[in-house]
Amino acid sequence: MLILGCGNPDRSDDAAGILVARRLRELGIPAEEFVGDAPGLIDAWSGWADVIVVDAMKSGASPGTIKTWTARTSAFPAGQFRCSTHAFGVAEAIELARAIDRLPRNLVVVGIEGIRFEWGGLPSAEVAEAIERLAQRIVKNGSADELP
Amino acid sequence: MSKATPRIRTIKVPYLARVEGEGGLFVKLKGDQVTDVKLKIFEPPRLFEAFLRGRHLTEIPDIVARICGICPVAYQMSAVHAIERAMGVTVDPAIRLLRRLFYCGEWIESHALHVFMLHAPDFLGYPDAIQMARDHRALVEQGLRLKKAGNRIVTLLGGREIHPVSVAVGGFYRVPTENELAVLGDDLKRALDESVAAVRLVAAFEFPDFEQDYEFVALSHPLEYPFNEGRLVSNKGLDIDVADYENHFAERQVAHSNALHSLLHGSGSYLVGPLARFNLNFSRLPDVAQQVARECGLAVPCRNPFRSIVVRAVEMVFAFWEALRVLREYRQPASSRAEVPDRAGAGCAATEAPRGTLYHRYEIDDGGLVRLAKIVPPTSQNQKRIEDDLWRFVSQLASRPNEEVTWKCEQAVRNYDPCISCATHFLQLHVERE
Repeated sequence: MLILGCGNPDRSDDAAGILVARRLRELGIPAEEFVGDAPGLIDAWSGWADVIVVDAMKSGASPGTIKTWTARTSAFPAGQFRCSTHAFGVAEAIELARAIDRLPRNLVVVGIEGIRFEWGGLPSAEVAEAIERLAQRIVKNGSADELP
Repeated sequence: MSKATPRIRTIKVPYLARVEGEGGLFVKLKGDQVTDVKLKIFEPPRLFEAFLRGRHLTEIPDIVARICGICPVAYQMSAVHAIERAMGVTVDPAIRLLRRLFYCGEWIESHALHVFMLHAPDFLGYPDAIQMARDHRALVEQGLRLKKAGNRIVTLLGGREIHPVSVAVGGFYRVPTENELAVLGDDLKRALDESVAAVRLVAAFEFPDFEQDYEFVALSHPLEYPFNEGRLVSNKGLDIDVADYENHFAERQVAHSNALHSLLHGSGSYLVGPLARFNLNFSRLPDVAQQVARECGLAVPCRNPFRSIVVRAVEMVFAFWEALRVLREYRQPASSRAEVPDRAGAGCAATEAPRGTLYHRYEIDDGGLVRLAKIVPPTSQNQKRIEDDLWRFVSQLASRPNEEVTWKCEQAVRNYDPCISCATHFLQLHVERE
């Protein structure tokens, strides 16, 4: 299984995905930090059947809320993953991959609701707690399929 | 009986899609007369020039790389050249070669993204690349492969594919061995062939009949298609050393934009970027790029901005060809970078970012700290020109329904691949009809 943490480590809660990957490695689970541009995600998960992508989201839920989507079976809520100034974000990469049949067999996207995205800041207490909670959940469940 | 009053129409694109950064477009028409056009840039000012002050010259390449996620190499290149000029530093020829290779990688990444993902949907009649991909899978996969080849170059030289961390004043923190570069060869050869096919593919698109008498401005070098060196020239007589840039160009603040407009004294708006480079430097393109351009009917001067998508594809051919040349000629230098003294000095430089000429000037104090930084990005230089294009282009479209005007205006803005984050460091269209 490939676990990819996305985000900007220098932008407060946007670091959530990156920090989940780092915490998982501390807990002995291989996980990669993805800091390239979003179309590169399609190459990053190429050849993998089971993939978890973790990223910060802004859906209006309370800070630290963890939501999961199974990309093959559910419509992806693009508007909630727009924490990117670039024309192409995680949502666009997923939908582009779906259009050209390059989605992994099992792709789970996990969003952690952020509240602040300012430059140079640390993650909020709510997001820091969610990072730990998610990492422990992945360690315990062991695969993307078993995530609620 | 009262006289009919011309209908006022306002066309607004409150948030322009498929451009980098945040901006909008406002067009006002009275009957079929265009009465106002504003490219509104509301991305907040990013103040990079101010917070570079007081930083040591060695920190500058890493700070300016953060101005843009699409063209960080350009910011790094203009910065190191300006500072090296200020400090009287000469770099090893092998470093110069690596810098050209680095730029090839960035042009390929940027052009492939724009040609295939951002601009091609306009010509093929899709609202975005995702919907285009459902019908044109091979085209999208071709774009992704070309872009990946560029990413590999930038990652190898820069340590990662965006915001590279390897560039130092005087050279690089680490340079690759010849064998490390050689592994790119097969991939680049395949990509060169694929980029030639890409030119033919986009040249077959339909282009609006729209030509303008532009003043094209770009670097020009006697022997090379320009990246890092050359005089600044135009098709209307400009021919200056970059040191004279500020005697010929001035920035102007306008109320509707958080990015400054740059104007050329005596002539006003001008155009920088692929179209300008191509028209001013065609003879310095390698044969393979010249041949496919001619075969596709792309003659010099090309004054139709919609054909810039074809020019970007030609520049990808050049970039792959040039990258392969560097691979053949590169020999690892004894030192990865030249010594840079801490002393007072001032220097400027312009290099060719994917979107056009990028000017930097720095004044350094005797402790090596930046006292003044000035950065003029390509989109800032093209802003007025984009508005001028739209004045004339909308006049041709005025009798058409708002929906069509809006679509075509967005396409016209994307001709310039504007990077609004750089210039303010995105786009919404607002058309008002009277």
